[in-house]
Amino acid sequence: MSDEHLVPPGARFVGTREVGTAEGFVDTPEHDLGLSSPRGKQRRSEWVQLLLEALHYRVTQVGLAMFLLIVTLVVVGPYVAPHSPFEFVTDPYAKPSAIAWLGGDCLGRDVLSRVLCGGRSVLILSFSATAIGMVLGVSTGLVAGYARTVVSEVIMRGLDVLLAFPQIVFVLLLISVLGPQRWLLVLGVGVTLAPPIGRVVYGTTMNVKEGDFVLAAESLGVSHLEIISSEILPNIVSPLMVEFGLNLTFAIGTIASLSFLGFGMQPPAPDWGLMINENRVGLVIQPYSVLVPTALIAILAIGANLVTDGVAHAMIGLERDTGSA
Amino acid sequence: MSDQEGKPSFDLGKLGEIANSKRMTRRRMLQGAGAAGALVALGPFASACGGSQSGTSASPSGAAPKKGGHIRSGINGGNPKDSLDCHNSSINAGQKIEQTYESLLGWTPDRKLEVRLAESFPEISADGAEYTVRLKSGLTFHNGKSVTADDVVYSFRRMLDPKTLALARNHLTVISDIKKVDDLTVTFKLEKPDASFIEALAYSQSCIVPEGYERPKRPEDAIGTGPWKVTSFTPGEQVDYVANRDYWGVGPYADKLTMIEFTDSTAKLNALLGGSVDHLAMLETSQVPMVESSPGFSILKARTGGWDPFTMAIDLKPFNDVRVRQAFRLIVDRPQMIKQAFSGYAWVGSDMWAVFDPGYPKDLPQREQDLEQARSLLKQAGYDNDLTVVLNCSTATGPNDPNAAQVFAEQAKGAGVTVKVNKVDSGAYWSKGNYLSYPFAMSMWGTNSYLWLCKSMLFPTGPYWETHWKDEEWEKLVLEAYQTVDDDKRNELIKECQRIEYERGGHIVYEFHIMLDAHSDKLQGLVPDVFGAEGATNSRFNRMYFV
Amino acid sequence: MLSPVLKIILRRLAFGLLTLVVISVLVFAATQALPGDTATAILGKSATPERVKVLEKQLGLDRPLYEQYFSWVAGILRGDFGNSLVGTMLPVTQMIGRRLMNTLALMLIAALIDVPTALVLGSLSGRFRDGLFDGFVSVGSLTFAALPTFVIGIMLILAFATQILQILPAVSRIEPDASVWSQMDLLWLPALTLALASAPFAVRMLRGSMIEVLESDYVQMARLKGTPERLVLQRHALPNAIVPFIQVVALDLAWMIGGVVTVEYLFNFPGIGALLVSAVSDRDVPVIQALVLLIASAYVVFNLVADILTILVTPRLRTGLQ
Repeated sequence: MSDEHLVPPGARFVGTREVGTAEGFVDTPEHDLGLSSPRGKQRRSEWVQLLLEALHYRVTQVGLAMFLLIVTLVVVGPYVAPHSPFEFVTDPYAKPSAIAWLGGDCLGRDVLSRVLCGGRSVLILSFSATAIGMVLGVSTGLVAGYARTVVSEVIMRGLDVLLAFPQIVFVLLLISVLGPQRWLLVLGVGVTLAPPIGRVVYGTTMNVKEGDFVLAAESLGVSHLEIISSEILPNIVSPLMVEFGLNLTFAIGTIASLSFLGFGMQPPAPDWGLMINENRVGLVIQPYSVLVPTALIAILAIGANLVTDGVAHAMIGLERDTGSA
Repeated sequence: MSDQEGKPSFDLGKLGEIANSKRMTRRRMLQGAGAAGALVALGPFASACGGSQSGTSASPSGAAPKKGGHIRSGINGGNPKDSLDCHNSSINAGQKIEQTYESLLGWTPDRKLEVRLAESFPEISADGAEYTVRLKSGLTFHNGKSVTADDVVYSFRRMLDPKTLALARNHLTVISDIKKVDDLTVTFKLEKPDASFIEALAYSQSCIVPEGYERPKRPEDAIGTGPWKVTSFTPGEQVDYVANRDYWGVGPYADKLTMIEFTDSTAKLNALLGGSVDHLAMLETSQVPMVESSPGFSILKARTGGWDPFTMAIDLKPFNDVRVRQAFRLIVDRPQMIKQAFSGYAWVGSDMWAVFDPGYPKDLPQREQDLEQARSLLKQAGYDNDLTVVLNCSTATGPNDPNAAQVFAEQAKGAGVTVKVNKVDSGAYWSKGNYLSYPFAMSMWGTNSYLWLCKSMLFPTGPYWETHWKDEEWEKLVLEAYQTVDDDKRNELIKECQRIEYERGGHIVYEFHIMLDAHSDKLQGLVPDVFGAEGATNSRFNRMYFV
Repeated sequence: MLSPVLKIILRRLAFGLLTLVVISVLVFAATQALPGDTATAILGKSATPERVKVLEKQLGLDRPLYEQYFSWVAGILRGDFGNSLVGTMLPVTQMIGRRLMNTLALMLIAALIDVPTALVLGSLSGRFRDGLFDGFVSVGSLTFAALPTFVIGIMLILAFATQILQILPAVSRIEPDASVWSQMDLLWLPALTLALASAPFAVRMLRGSMIEVLESDYVQMARLKGTPERLVLQRHALPNAIVPFIQVVALDLAWMIGGVVTVEYLFNFPGIGALLVSAVSDRDVPVIQALVLLIASAYVVFNLVADILTILVTPRLRTGLQ
């Protein structure tokens, strides 16, 4: 990294990167996972090893349970909902009754049914955004790592500039003219998630590129693609898994926030973020219409974060075991 | 809790007129309709519309209410361009204007005409083209100056001056001449008879100001005859008044009055429950349980003729086909709409809006949902489950209106129509190019008499030509109605006009409001009314008192 | 010859400035330089040919892109951000003015709650790492860090303003004439929300730096020399923890700027966050441009300040402990 960053790059990532790890920063660019070739092959199954190791931790177990609980709810929900999420079944803000177990929402629709159908968008959009962020980050990092100094400097500076916007503000900027379209949301959030990934990949790529083995391989005519897949990717899988978890957590938060602000799913769609917004006027009379979607979003996000923490623990544990610096 | 069944609960005397919309909007024009039939008659008005303007106001015990105190009222507002110019206040400033300024005539809470500054109802010539008004003697402005005919002439000339941008001007252009007859008498000559002219004299924006009055730059320049004098004014935020102890009418009982404008209804409610205000105008339906469960506070309910319709522009697709309009009216399940969108605080409408006008055709059957018929009409118009429309709505017309839009969208599914609800931010809704150009949108109105509101809403020359209404048969009838001096004949004509709108108009009038205000029990004397504009009581603070 | 420290500072400043320029280009591009017809996109459904023309004129869209950009930047440097496109079309600076003060007050209160708390929690969990306290704080941090800010806000509302205790108002409305400081009780809930949302990260960072410092050479040395623990902390650990502390504060404030958007919207607080949300709803481009620029610049500035302070502090510390 350039000497301009006197603080570890982790700190540059305005507050979003340090969470979830028990050992302070998972300062992954500096984190050398060992790059000599013979290890390369072993690394391929490392991520499986990592996951299994992570499951030993209480934190992962609890987190996974929470996360899977919500996912199950989201998948199964629409099939077990007692009413259609659009149907008017009771009075606006009605208290729980036999017809509506969690009461009525602002228009008298069944809160329970809407909750059961309302998680799909958050989950799908968050995953998509995270995936896009990963893809963008990995490709940017690889390109920056392989390119000449000038180009890679420009790319890394570009990533830094992106980090100058709070996630939400960036997406709001995009929405401001084109309107709240779902693909734009996913793309926007994805783009803001990419920079940290880019850095991780860039750092690893740089290190690997200069390793003796690679120079040797290059002189042997091994293609870049093979080098990437056999040397670079295996080395970044573990930290990338942690990054994926962190990104997913933040994607959930940002997407839910955008829905809450009214820029995500539009009425009459059942969507947890939207429900919280449209029902909060009646918060005092009918708390369930706000409380339940809030709790579900919270459980989903916390679960994702706990699993990420477990995986990070495991990664550090594994390194200690394998003796890599 | 008081209830408004169209009967005044108290002895009504002087009451302010509503010229305001419910919220921060540019819209003006909520006026009361009412006993228009009792108006134009030859000679003195026999059925001199209700309300005496006696000086007593009833307190339950019969004794005169005690004086003193500082009434603080929380209202909707927030427009930083408000001014104290009574002829050109911005839309929602009417509430503030009414406290300070008055017109020759006015309205009772149940929408009957009454006299204010005028001594008696105008004498109308036999051809209906001349109105002679005589002022009460001994009236004074806030600055001590006597109210004379010169002031009346000046006021109306100012309203007619295009430079003033007076909101009343649209209703006064029928005036051909204003003549001072003597110190207290003025005659208005009209180009042609206009049965709605008398309402122009009762319009809150037709207030009488002293000769030489200009747009006030300081609070002390806001000189009128009303019960409250302005002491300080922060546009869009707060107005402070002090009682006019020389007021000719009832009260005021309190010493001071403050209106605080809120852009957030929760903050407004918190202000009431927390004690920062004594009265809250326009309680939202979702807030009712909170007030009901708080000891020491009451809710004032008023059954009004205010209406928030769906508007269809009859010259834009797909509403240029009358069958589509008729189908859309059949889509609405009105009781369900009232239950789900308004929590029951409304009563059913039947696609005719001048519900308190004597010319309201009571014999036409109440419109009800008929999805079969709707689908069949749409099919005839060429749409077979494939019609998609955008419904534009905003909280600018009312806090429950976006809900109504959602409910309509859901109901429309039953007729094979896909409705996309476009919720527009309230700041942008009334902007040029939005509201009046939407093919399908929502609007808001108070209680109005037919002939009065037509000028604003159903003629291309009016500022709120929201449905782009044009109909030859209707036009002939309504123009004749304006000129008809005989009450019964005119009402028959009006009934015909309303029937035409019932059949093929561009409004879907599915409800009329039950308005809600909330107040501390320490504040009494609140009178509910049917105007449906600024709340359940339209801010008649001169009659309120503390117990 | 310039001292190396000064050189580094100047380089950081230059980079900061460059970032600002790039940001301005980004903001401009996102709002005025889109492919296709910007004016029509902004007006959406209300786009009639006349309205499009008027808007184009207003935003200067009919001129070549580089001209638009430069006149826009020139205006900004003059302090002129144009006029709002909606409602009464006030000048943007007027709209932002008081709201900015409110938001800054909110952030200040939040920071005053958040930083000391994080300092205590972070240092203690670093000092007694892997203990019960550390585990507790760790779980707490993981939980709060994962929650979107508005969820924290709603939970606080449920706890304090409605269900459990009806102490604090659930909506912030700053009354006219009174400055924000005279109505502090309207600030507590939103400030507390912001603080709870940012604290986990600050706690994490401070914990990490505390651990790092405690494991550093000179602390080990001090311990070996037999210095009492208290003095070790006082003289060696804490002073060296200052560097990350500065970063934490700066990053904290920077982070809050993002959180402010949902918090102000939730509590109806009259600040720039809420203004940004309604501006985006209204497609009020001049206001959006101004606010995003403001926010991004604040970010850059805070980071810059953190970096420069760090640069200034570190060498001194190093020489001081020789």
